[in-house]
Amino acid sequence: MMDNVGGSSSNIAENSGIIREQDRLLPIANVGKIMKQILPPNAKISKESKETMQECVSEFISFVTSEASEKCRKERRKTVNGDDICWALGSLGFDDYAEPLRRYLQRYREQELDRANNPPKRG
Amino acid sequence: MRQAGAYSGLLCGGVSGRTGPHSLPLARIKKIMKNSGEDVKMISGEAPIIFSKACELFIEELTRRSWIMAIQGKRRTLHKEDLASAVIATDIFDFLITLVSSSESHAVGGATNVMEVETIDCS
Repeated sequence: MMDNVGGSSSNIAENSGIIREQDRLLPIANVGKIMKQILPPNAKISKESKETMQECVSEFISFVTSEASEKCRKERRKTVNGDDICWALGSLGFDDYAEPLRRYLQRYREQELDRANNPPKRG
Repeated sequence: MRQAGAYSGLLCGGVSGRTGPHSLPLARIKKIMKNSGEDVKMISGEAPIIFSKACELFIEELTRRSWIMAIQGKRRTLHKEDLASAVIATDIFDFLITLVSSSESHAVGGATNVMEVETIDCS
């Protein structure tokens, strides 16, 4: 049985029909690809380490999401948005991530605005 | 209808332009967010997009730190023990210690893993 840090027990519901195993983790191929890209060409990655990374990433998402949703609850908002995620990352010590992600979020919103203002031309 | 080229602009000159629009599946990220706690009610469309980049940064950092452990062990293959060592050695990964320890303890009868953990200044 996997332990779940942070008190959230909903992730433990393996094989309960509510959360299928494959839905609990990000795909091992995607995770493995990102790992491979950061390592030297001659490095090898064991399957077990990819599986461990899958678990770690899901835990990271849950950890940050819980922090973000707690902020929303205190502010009586119902929707977790990109700013909440960035704030939570900073709050949990991932300051190095929060800043590039804020810039990424800003660019994403600008792109969305452009798309809204300039619908793709047909024909 | 979305223009095929619209997404590529999102990543030009920005964070991690090596992969496509999103190297991790957004629907799966959203599902993991939803399962992080009962109080996660609604999730904006941008939150999983921010998380897809945050997860890349997380995977990259943990992989890099794990690789340092593998190199110190004079190995070219990344093992799950390397991830465990990196987690233990890095403050911001504290929330993963139980997870990687639990994962490791399943290997009953495995060789004793004498990990040389660097001293962390906790001041």
